[in-house]
Parts: sequence; structure tokens; C-alpha cells
Amino acid sequence: MGGTHSQNINLKLKVWRQKSAKDQGAFVEYDAPNVSTDASFLEMLDQVNEKLVQAGQEPIVFDHDCREGICGSCGFMINGNAHGPQKHTTVCQLHMRQFKDGETLVLEPWRAKAFPVIKDLMVDREAFDRVIKSGGYISVDTGNAQDANNIPVPKPDADEAFASATCIGCGACVASCKNASAMLFVGAKVSHLALLPQGQVERAERVHRMVTQMDAEGFGACTTTGACSAACPKGISLSNIARMNRELLVGTLTKKEAAEGDGI
Amino acid sequence: MATANTMEKPFFLTSIGKKYLMGLTGLVWSGFVLGHMAGNLLMFYSADAYNKYGHAITSGAMIYAIETVLVLCLITHVVCAISLTLENRAARGHQRYAMTPNGSKGATLASRTMAIQGSVILAFVILHIATFKYGTYYETTVDGVVMRDLHRLLIEVFQQPGYVVWYLIALVFLGFHLSHGVGSLFQSFGLKNNANEKLIQRLGWAYGLIVAAGFLAQPIYCFVRGA
Amino acid sequence: MAILDGKVPGGTIEQIWDDHKFHMKLVNPANKRKHKVIVVGTGLAGASAAASLGELGYNVSAFCVHESPRRAHSVAAQGGINSAKNYKNDGDSVYRLFYDTVKGGDFRAREANVYRLAQVSTQIIDHCVAQGVPLAREYGGLLSNRSFGGAQVSRTFYARGQTGQQLLIGAYQAMMRQVDKGQVKLFNRREMLDLVVVNGQARGIVVRNLATGAIESHEADAVILATGGYSNVFFLSTNAMACAVTGAWRAYKRGAYFANPCFTQIHPTCIPVSGELQSKLTLMSESLRNDGRVWVPKTKGDKRPANQIPDSERDYYLERVYPSFGNLAPRDVASRQAKYRVDEGLGVGPTGKAVYLDFRDAIQRLGKKAVQEKYGNLFEMYEKITGENPYETPMRMYPAPHYTMGGLWVDYNLMSNIPGLFVAGEANFSDHGANRLGASALMQGLADGYFVVPYTISNYIASTKIEKVATTHDAFKEAENNVRAQITQLMGIKGNRSVDSFHKQLGHIMWEYCGMARNEKGLTAALTEIPKLRDEFWQNVRIPGDANYVNTELEKANRVADFLEQGELMCLDALERKESCGGHFRDEYQTPDGEAMRDDANFCHVAAWEWGGTANKKPTRHTEELKFENVKLATRSYK
Repeated sequence: MGGTHSQNINLKLKVWRQKSAKDQGAFVEYDAPNVSTDASFLEMLDQVNEKLVQAGQEPIVFDHDCREGICGSCGFMINGNAHGPQKHTTVCQLHMRQFKDGETLVLEPWRAKAFPVIKDLMVDREAFDRVIKSGGYISVDTGNAQDANNIPVPKPDADEAFASATCIGCGACVASCKNASAMLFVGAKVSHLALLPQGQVERAERVHRMVTQMDAEGFGACTTTGACSAACPKGISLSNIARMNRELLVGTLTKKEAAEGDGI
Repeated sequence: MATANTMEKPFFLTSIGKKYLMGLTGLVWSGFVLGHMAGNLLMFYSADAYNKYGHAITSGAMIYAIETVLVLCLITHVVCAISLTLENRAARGHQRYAMTPNGSKGATLASRTMAIQGSVILAFVILHIATFKYGTYYETTVDGVVMRDLHRLLIEVFQQPGYVVWYLIALVFLGFHLSHGVGSLFQSFGLKNNANEKLIQRLGWAYGLIVAAGFLAQPIYCFVRGA
Repeated sequence: MAILDGKVPGGTIEQIWDDHKFHMKLVNPANKRKHKVIVVGTGLAGASAAASLGELGYNVSAFCVHESPRRAHSVAAQGGINSAKNYKNDGDSVYRLFYDTVKGGDFRAREANVYRLAQVSTQIIDHCVAQGVPLAREYGGLLSNRSFGGAQVSRTFYARGQTGQQLLIGAYQAMMRQVDKGQVKLFNRREMLDLVVVNGQARGIVVRNLATGAIESHEADAVILATGGYSNVFFLSTNAMACAVTGAWRAYKRGAYFANPCFTQIHPTCIPVSGELQSKLTLMSESLRNDGRVWVPKTKGDKRPANQIPDSERDYYLERVYPSFGNLAPRDVASRQAKYRVDEGLGVGPTGKAVYLDFRDAIQRLGKKAVQEKYGNLFEMYEKITGENPYETPMRMYPAPHYTMGGLWVDYNLMSNIPGLFVAGEANFSDHGANRLGASALMQGLADGYFVVPYTISNYIASTKIEKVATTHDAFKEAENNVRAQITQLMGIKGNRSVDSFHKQLGHIMWEYCGMARNEKGLTAALTEIPKLRDEFWQNVRIPGDANYVNTELEKANRVADFLEQGELMCLDALERKESCGGHFRDEYQTPDGEAMRDDANFCHVAAWEWGGTANKKPTRHTEELKFENVKLATRSYK
């Protein structure tokens, strides 16, 4: 596509291969010859896998789906960087023109206690679903809603809520944090809902439950290194973590207890 | 959220609650070191002024209250730090990365090494108290009042090159620790937002730089004068 | 061949759904928890259905192939969602949305279904906003709208270029709330590989656990398929890699009818193909056509950079051919016009298979900042993929397979011809006829899941005798054995070719003969080539590893095996439909100026195919007559 600038490069890959969660795992070297600079990183891996399959070997396994940078399935470390060197990019959107001929690339899975490896570069991120399940929503049953325009939302609030809500749940924040902290992910969801008028009723309880679940999953704490935000393909800002901290404090101080036996 | 399958953790036991504790205790110490540094600068005014100041703050009951608060804050800060560091290590899992984030995705050195800096600073604080609070006791009389001659001890200590180098190292660490710590404080307390982010970062650096430079002025001055 | 009954209740179009809701039977709240419903797929339709049924009190089991329901491909929809709110005071109404959708679908959709869709469209926006979906707003704090192809009103709600993501996360969160309450049980990394039919009723599914390789059976009182579309039959499409026909196809092989498989949508604005190794095509939202102008050079082989070609030597062909709709002509029309230009040798870019989408004038008119505000993320994405900056040089675009209007046949209640098997979202055939208008897929997915299926499934459960069935029943054993046998067979071939190589070859055949334009000769050729390729697949495919753990090649093989059958059905359907309508364009049936020519006398019907028992036996074509009592049958004109 890049038309006139397209060329082919040769790369060496050191890829983490691990048969299963129980397996030890180790790096294996592969050649990736003749890679078009117009190809995406995953298309480069497709090319390597095609050869492996033809040779009767198991292909390198990685999660991926939309290949448009929005589903959040893909993601692994390339030379120590989550999703590779380019900012605001997932590996599926990372194109080979970012690399030089002859480079060696080290590919590792996300590593965190809460994200066990399933196979090769594929990890289990269900912990994120459990955090959302613990309160990352607004409790409204289908059919209850009033007219959408009855709740005006100031544009700056709506825009900021949207910016937080663009999180794709890929896990790069956890992977790149030296503490494997999930606070950017959780902070983004807390922020998204706390910024909107619809999210006010459950505000205090939501943040407390989500933080409790986040801790229970075994994610670490934030030491404000900023590695998460730097690695985030959607550029989710660190201020989301600040907001979560504030929400938790204010929520703890102002929380009302429900009366015994209410709702019956 | 009708069901509460997860029991909510008490605030100060959550990872965020611990950060609040670290921030609060760190804030107390940040204030203390700034005041301490400012007091030290009296040395450049005169030996007597310096000794009078030292005498004033150590005589009277306030010193015990202040010391108690400082010691409690330090213990809390260190205990939370150890607890969080252990949890964070465990969160990382047993398998380490072969390579770490770098380039535009890397984190600053100051932020990545807070625990190491903290350990060095803790060792420094202990030695520092041993040297000055419990060190050689000289006496002097200023305006008819007998008091400890801290100024003399200071000059003696800071004419030993080993001490000066150790102070230099420790205070640079303190500067870094403060620069990241003061900035993070705003983050931990939820006061940071996109608008003030840069300002807070600069404030952190300025704070660390001023405190470290102010403290360092003393040993360097003494050493150079002695030589 | 039989005539199918869409079971549309009587009454005037405005009253049908309300009357029907009243007449449908209800399940007592205390009894709901005794009934179990399976939902396959957790995109907009599946997640919203699971959430709503959970809220009602049913025991729901939700299945997704992904690691998390939030990854479903609805997440990738960019542009927006239509709703007849008329917030713009520009003349919109439920009736107009209904009218536009029927006309946009080239009169091949069921009127009553479309009217209901337009009716509930307003509730969808209300509900999503209540859930906290951050839709775009004006400075006054009220919701913002934009216009989309095929409509002359602004009725599209959006969240920058990530509307699908935001709506999906809303539905996902609603579902996770029910998971927390214990109403919905989530089964991730599960792929449905068979439908279990007991006494003629859909009673369960057999899935493969993609993380462990285990084959599992699940039983229920009813099954909802929300498994999406089949554009990946073309290999290169805008669909995600895991999108497949498998869920629907396995149901088809158990007796569910497959309707209008040849109705596929080729989206006009996608980033063109660059090379043989490309794995997918990336769509650029139709909303870009609001401000971007489509053109090609007037002279063949004009190799000058776009910026050096003066206006007088550019052909803004959509504005020229369709003066009233201009760049906002419907997708099928815009795609076909792009194809004509390329066929005439006027295409641009290194391959000559592209047209320009130019923002020069918009940037001049609105300023770069305003353009960035509206389309910034799309421009960034374009630059990442192509290495070109669309603020400086026009985007290069070409049509690509995007959406499939065809799908499992369903009646007005969204139930297939197998009692208890409901089909929602893109997986069914119902509302878009032969062409879907932009921003209508999100609307339909959520309409089905939030507001239609929860009612109709209650009616089914309340009015049907459903006996107790356990997964130890013979029908489950038979289905499990069937699934295991196919996997064993696939693993045992140990041939020389990768699954992808077959998929690519099938894709070439489909694009060549059953793509933007079709004809008898090509379709006949495809009908001999596809079975040949299928035979080779079953003799020569190579799947390394074993079936008892994660095996991504095996996953792909299961899907491609189905595409190799379904592609043939598509071609057969396209061959039998001797007319042009919407996305189905037959070279033989066109007006002198190259527009689609319908044959309402002979083809004003839905074609629903019944599996012949084996892949090599011809399926049976059933029909459902379509009546147009409200929108008069007319030749579509966007001029």
C-alpha cells in the first residue's frame, strides 16, 4: 500500500514458546525473511506460521481478531515494549515499516500473575472480566429508560468519559507495569462511569467493589511510573488513576449504608 | 449493584489505601526535610545563629512530639512500602521479562527505583542521627547560654572526604525520591488531572532539586573551606 | 419446494408490534428461573439478549469464541447507529426510517420486521444512554447526530469513530451485571460446533472448548444464535479473523433454512488490497463520505500525484451520477460505481484498484481542527496502515466485503423453522433486504437483543410443551460424536496444504465470481470449482499439533470446512436469483445506465434453502412471498 516506499526486509525472531500453562517455556529462534514493510506485525507472523505449518510444526499461537486495533485481543511484548515501539498502536496495527532490515526481535507474552500464559504468546485475561463484573456497569434494566435527551451531559464531561471508555482491555498496561498493576484499566472504567450523571447513584460502591476485586485478582499497586499510559494503544491518561484514588477516598467517606431489609 | 459477592476491603487495606498512607507520611517527611534544610542554611549566617537554632528546637517538649510523629510516619511509610513492594513483586509473577520497556514506552529511572532509593535513604537517616544526634558532644556559650556546639561537629565531620561523598550520594537519592514522591503524591491523592499534570511534574523536580541542593551546600561548603 | 409463512400478525403496520406484544403469552416471574436459554455469540445482539433475558429472570448461558465477550466483532463498527428520534427537526420519523430501510434494501425485506425495527430504534438510544454509553454531544449537552449514506436526514448517533465499541461495552457491562447476579453463566473460548434437536425442538448445543480442546454439551429450553455474518467466505473482508458461518451453518445442517445467502454487502470505503500476504481489509467509516469527496482522474493512466490534478481533470463521479444524494449514495450503489471506474481503467494507486476519497475541500471549508475532531482516529488508522497522511494526500479506497444481509431464515418472532431456535443480529436474514443502509446493523443487533427476542422467546416458552432433556440424551451423544468424528477426520488428513491456503483460494473464487457483479457463466464456473476445492481440502489439508489443547489451525479448519460448503450455496442462490437487487448485481439484469434491475414479477420473495443431507446433494429452495403494502414497489433512484 505505501506504494512507492514498499520494500522487503529480513528479520530474526526470538519467540517465547510455551506448550501450556504448566510447561516451562523457552525462547526459540526463527527467521522471518522477505517481509514486506507494508505488512502488519501479525501478517509477518502469519507468514512465519505458514512455513511452520508446511513443515508440520505447530504455529506460534497468539490472540488476535479484529486486526483493526479495537477488539483488544492481540498484544505481546516486542523487545520489551508492550505492542512494540510505536505509541498508540496495537500489534495488529503495527506495520513492518517501523523496523529495520536485519533486526532481531524478542517476542514475549504479557507476564503477570493475574494473566497466566495459556500457550506461547496467548494469555488468560479473564481477571479483567471479573473486575468489570464486580461493578463496572450502571444498573439499569432494559425498558426503564427515559428519553435520552432528558439527561444533558456537558460536552467536556461527555468527551472525557468517552476518552476513558475507549479502553480496549488489551492488558498492555498490566504487562508494561513493573508491578503488574491494573489501575489504568480499572481507573478508566471508574472514570468513565463516575463522570456521567447516570453513574452517580452507584459511584461510591462501584469503586470500592472494583478495587477490592482488582486486589483480589493479584494485580500490583501503582507506583506512578507512567509505563502503563505510555504503552496504552488508546493513550488512556494517568489522570484516570488519580480519579480512581479520589473516588475511593471520597466514596469511603461519604458512603451510605442501605437500611436492613430494603428492597423487599 | 444488588449483590455484593465480594466483601469490600477496608479502605486502608486496599492497594490504594496503602498509597494514601504512603503519600500522607511522605508528605510529613517532605515538609520536615524542607524545614530542616532551611534551618541548616543558618550555618551560612553565623556559627552562633546555627547553634542557637539547634538549641531552640531541641529544648522544650515539642521536640518529643515532633520526633514521635516523624518516627511513626517513617515506620508507616516503610512498612507500607515493604508490603506494597512484596505484593507488587508477587503480582509480576515468577517468570521475568527478558527485556523491559524502553524508548518512548520506558519509565523514568527515578520512578522505577523508588524502593532502592528508599532503602539508601533509610540507611542514611539512621547514620545521620547516629552522627549528629548521638555524636560527640561539644559545648559552647552563646549570649550567656550554654548549649551544644553543633557547628563545630559539623565542620569536623564534613572535612572527612568519605562522609562528604556518602552525603553526596544519599542526598542525590533523596532528591530523586522527593521529585518522584512529591509528584506521585498528587496522583495518589487524586489531585492530578490532564491540565495540571506537567505543572505537578515540574513541581516535583523543583522540590527535589531545592531540598537536595540546600542540604548539599553544607558539606560541600565545609569541605571546601577546610581544604 | 414449499411456501414459507413469515407469521406476521395482521393489522396496520403501525399497530402490528404493539398488538402482538399484548397477545403474546407471558411466563410467570417465579417460573422464569426454571427455564434455561442458551445464547451463542456475545456481540451486540447476543450480549443484549443475554442481559435482557437475565434481567427478566431466565437462566441464561452465554457462549463466545473469544477470551472475553467484549472482543466480539460488533466492537469494530465505526460510524454510528440510526434512530428515528428526529432530534434534528429535519423531518425524520419512524415511518421515514422504515421507508428508507425498505427502499435501501431494494424491496427484499419483510415490511413488518422493518417497521418494528424503526419503532424500537428510539428505545435503543434511550437505553444505551441510560447505561452510560458516551455518545457524542453538542455543547448544550444534548446528543449529536450526523448523516449517513442512503438517507437525507441526520439520524445517526455516534461516539467518534468507535460507536460499535461503545455500544458493545454497554451491552457487555449489562451482561456482566447479570453474570454477577448469577442470572447469566458465561462460557468463553467456546465454539459452537453443533445444534442439538430433540423431538423437532432446538434443545442445546455442542461446543469445543478452545482453551482445553474438550467437547461439551449444553442443554436449554431454547437456543438463540447471534453468531454474526459470513463475509469471511471471501477470505479478505472487513470482518475479524474469527468471524465465521460455523454457528449458523451447523444449524442449517440440522434443518434450519438459510435465506438469501447471495445478499452480501460490499462496503465502498475500505483501504485497498496491497499484497498476497494481507490477512484482512480495513474499513474506513462511511461517515467519511459526509465530508470527503470521491473522485478519479478523467484520463486513463494519469499517474500524477493527486494534488497535482486540477479540478477540471477530476471526475467526482458520485456527485455527477447522483446529484441529489451525491457522495452519500447507498453502499451498493457507491461500490458498484467505484468498480465501474476501475474497470474503465481510471483507478488510482500502485495497483490501479482504488479511487480517491478527498478531504481537501473539507479542510479548506471547516479547518483542519474540525476535520480532526470528527475523523481524527480514522485518519490516524489510515496513516498507520498505509504510511500516508490523509490531511495531505487523498485516501485511496476500494470496496470490500463487509456485511451479509443473508442468514438463517426467521419468522416475525425471529424464530427459525426449527421451533426453539431463535436467530438474532447479522446471523438472521430479516431486516435489510438486499442491501443494508449504514448505521443500521448496530440498530438491528440491539433491537433484536434488547427489545424483540425477550418478548418472543417468552411467548414460545409459555405456549410450547417443552419436555425435560438432559445432556445424556441420545441426541446429545449423537451430536458430540458427530463433532468428534469431524475433528478426528480433519486431524487425520495430514496433507500438504495449510488451512489458510484453501481459504485464500476459496476467497479468490468467491470474489471473482460472486463479488460485486455476478453472471451465469462465472457462477456456473464457481459451482464446479468450489466442490473440487472442497474435495482437495478433505484430502490434503495439514493441521499440526493435536486436538486436545489450544489448536488454532484446527479452529480455522472447522470454519473453512463450513465456508467451503456455504460458498457453494451462495453461488447457487446467486445463480437462481435471475435479477439484480441491492448488493446482488447480475450483469445480465441491468438498466442501460448500469443500475440494478429487479424482477418483481418473479423474484419478489425470500429464497430459503434447505440442506440436502450431504454437501454434494443439491439443497431445496423454498420461498417466502414478500408483500409491499406500505412502501410501493418502485425502482430505487438516488439521482
